[in-house]
Amino acid sequence: MTAPTGPLGAVYDRGYRPYEDMLGGRRSAVLALYRASIRRALGMRRSWRQKVLPWSLLAIVTVPAIINVGVGYLTRDTPAEGFEFITYREYVGVSTALLLFVAVTAPDVMCPDRRHRVLPLIFARPLVGSDYVLAKVGAIATILSGFGFLPQVVLFVGQMLVSDAALDYFRDNAEVLWQVPLAVLLLAVYYAAIGVAAASLTSRRIVGGVAILALALVPSVVTGAVLSTNDVEQGAVAVLNLLALPIYLRDLIFLGHIDPESPLGGVSGGAVLAVVTYVVVLAIAFAILLLRYREPDA
Amino acid sequence: MSALPPPHAPDPASTVTDPAFAHDATVEVGDLSVWFGPKVALSELSCSFGPGVTGLLGPNGAGKTTLMRAMTGLLGPNTGTVRVLGRDPRADRSVQRTLALVPEDEAVPPGLTARQLVRYVARLHAVADTAAADASLATVGLSDVADRRVGGFSKGMRQRTKVAAALVTDPTVLVLDEPLNGADPVQRAHLITLFRHLGNEGRTVIVSSHVLHEVERLAERQIVLLRGRLAAAGDHRAIRDAMADRPRRVLVRTPSTRALAGALLELEAVSSVAVDGTELTVSSNRARDVAVALPRLARSLGARLDEVRPLDDSLESMFRELVR
Amino acid sequence: MAPVPAFAADSLTKVFPGGTTALDRLTVTVPQGSVGLVGANGAGKTTLFRLLLGLIRPNAGRVEVCGRPVAEDPIGVRSRLGFMPEHDCLPPDQTAQDLVATLGEMSGLPPRAARQRASDVLDLVGLDEARFRPIEGFSTGMRQRTKLAQALVADPELVLLDEPTAGLDPIGRQEMLALVSRLAGFGISVVLATHLLDDVQAVCDHVVMINAGQLVLAGPTDELLERPGTVRVDVGGANDALVQALTARQLRVSVLEDASLEVDSDGLGSDDTLNAVRDAVADLGLPLHALSTRHSSLDEVFLRQAGER
Repeated sequence: MTAPTGPLGAVYDRGYRPYEDMLGGRRSAVLALYRASIRRALGMRRSWRQKVLPWSLLAIVTVPAIINVGVGYLTRDTPAEGFEFITYREYVGVSTALLLFVAVTAPDVMCPDRRHRVLPLIFARPLVGSDYVLAKVGAIATILSGFGFLPQVVLFVGQMLVSDAALDYFRDNAEVLWQVPLAVLLLAVYYAAIGVAAASLTSRRIVGGVAILALALVPSVVTGAVLSTNDVEQGAVAVLNLLALPIYLRDLIFLGHIDPESPLGGVSGGAVLAVVTYVVVLAIAFAILLLRYREPDA
Repeated sequence: MSALPPPHAPDPASTVTDPAFAHDATVEVGDLSVWFGPKVALSELSCSFGPGVTGLLGPNGAGKTTLMRAMTGLLGPNTGTVRVLGRDPRADRSVQRTLALVPEDEAVPPGLTARQLVRYVARLHAVADTAAADASLATVGLSDVADRRVGGFSKGMRQRTKVAAALVTDPTVLVLDEPLNGADPVQRAHLITLFRHLGNEGRTVIVSSHVLHEVERLAERQIVLLRGRLAAAGDHRAIRDAMADRPRRVLVRTPSTRALAGALLELEAVSSVAVDGTELTVSSNRARDVAVALPRLARSLGARLDEVRPLDDSLESMFRELVR
Repeated sequence: MAPVPAFAADSLTKVFPGGTTALDRLTVTVPQGSVGLVGANGAGKTTLFRLLLGLIRPNAGRVEVCGRPVAEDPIGVRSRLGFMPEHDCLPPDQTAQDLVATLGEMSGLPPRAARQRASDVLDLVGLDEARFRPIEGFSTGMRQRTKLAQALVADPELVLLDEPTAGLDPIGRQEMLALVSRLAGFGISVVLATHLLDDVQAVCDHVVMINAGQLVLAGPTDELLERPGTVRVDVGGANDALVQALTARQLRVSVLEDASLEVDSDGLGSDDTLNAVRDAVADLGLPLHALSTRHSSLDEVFLRQAGER
């Protein structure tokens, strides 16, 4: 064939380019869903209105840390009067802010998929029901962990800097470095699982939110009423306070035993009871979720 | 059956020559304008509908739904008039009973069975005949499932239930919005036959649909709306002919492509011939002349004609040209 | 080596608890290209889609998609498929770009590629400007296009389209069908599930008809439309003279409902009958509007089938 003479020309793109590289499989699909859920919960890629709740929550839960560090600094030479410094243990907890966050965000991440019937689009991808559940619970748990962990970091670093000898402070409080992450994680996974499981039962966000609040508050009020009769034997009922259950595990991590001043304090085998109940609650939550997302809804 | 206008027969002495107006019109729309706030849905629309099946076409937002609601008295005109059998459908109750509208999206109460629903509608309109509901259900082919809950019906079956409910009052004028929606091919064929039968009985059947291939099989006359105005009316082929400035194309398949192409190009009526394998696409502004010349040319050349097919004959292509 | 079929079912059976037989020993092989899947309402086509996607397992039989047995790796099969559901399935508060990119990532595309491809396919379907707007404000046409875009974003080998023209006005239908027609040229096979046989005729080179879970017929569209033994001719309705002329040539003629004529060509053979008709029309100076050895539409084929059962 002779070499072409005259101007050259070719058409490269008729409006569609095939994708030449390898496609990630199940793993990248799940990670993508996980990342997308986190983005949604944090209001990313959406209007500023959606960002208000999560970021102001983070601010709220970080405030005690800032205050503590500030007061600590101001009273470094003189003893502080009437101010109770917060301990790391106490700082791992469930504030109203965190509870509200779960009640708003878990439904926001779960209900629209069902309400707008997006699930068939998702399940046409290389992932299965359990992947979906893992990604969603993981996303909420990640955010809750972050919101639990960041203020602790602020507190620790702040205290460290404010103290007389930073390195000494570090050495003295080194155990906090594994206690806090573990406790925060146990708390985060717990609330994420309950929140996501409750939200999965409905396609309306408001209903989901109310359900979560009810799950948190009703057992709390009921067990509180039962316990107010001051019967030590009935202290075991305290594990049914869904809201406060992770606190017992937190105490086990920080103290090595149940806090004697807590409602579960006098109960023999209280620690085992708390751990078992925790595991059972998580199991129920995941069982509900796996049942809800077993076969994609058409 | 209530008194109907006489069976549809073309009146040779009729002075109606404008295809926008039907012979023996039952529904007459005069200079009708409807607006919703700043949005003008219909603008000085004048046309009429008569016995038989008429298609009501137009892109989304053209005003079809508004017109259907105005014709059945659900909406009032801002200016202009709507008359059904000579009377105002908004004011006159007796004429309202001769009208039935089957809208596209209206939900049916899921807890009722088909029979209950149709009977309820019959009672609502004080239909005297107690067997009317059952007859109506039989007409649409739902007798077998008449006692099942409508909530469990497929989309096509729900549509047919709505049609049965509309038929139970024995309406003179039946307006249907996407009546074939969700129906499978067999149900579609049944419904098309049904509507044509209703039209032949002398009822005024107006069908609005986006599936033009089917409207073509269903309706002998079309009313086309564009942006709230009447864009075209009449038989779709005649409408197409009226767009004389756009050439008509015919596909001709023959083994003797080049020879026939050459001969066709010699005809004054032919504006162009495109060749693709054994297929010729012949464009011309005088389709009939070409149609007469074609077999003669082919015979003289000994060219076998395997297929001759007009490409612009369909309602679909007429619509496309109209809205371009 | 023969090209891999788009999908191949072998005695595929699915019975739901409660006794409904959705598919009954379905055996069909569909080549690459675009195939129309037609059938009565009921579980048939939805069930088949779910089986192709590996979302449910058959009670008996097997199915392969693009050469891969679904039973062995349903998740892997899904990564090569695109699915466009019939129902409304788009979240209102996301933009089209964000939704398609996210779904693209969930199909296995790396984030940057997902963003780029989302942009490309949204452009392809004609949502170039609107893609940064929330889906909430989209018209039906725009929603359908978005659904198609998410099915195409990961460059699938096969897309399953469920009633893609539903709810669209005539212009929207034409545009959607035109888009679907282009897919084969991009190397993407299409299964188009629809009740509208006219759409299938316009777009699909292959047809599969199912009824009550059983295969009614399958084959290339062109072949199905062929009607050996008859020639149809339309001369605009002035039939009497023509009928006479043809009968004089020993041809059996009948007049059809739409005023065209049907001529039996079994006696003379197809070619000679065509010529005879041509000559008769030419002699009489009648306009030859249409001449064909085929059914005028798939609808006719289907109804004939249904009538025969």
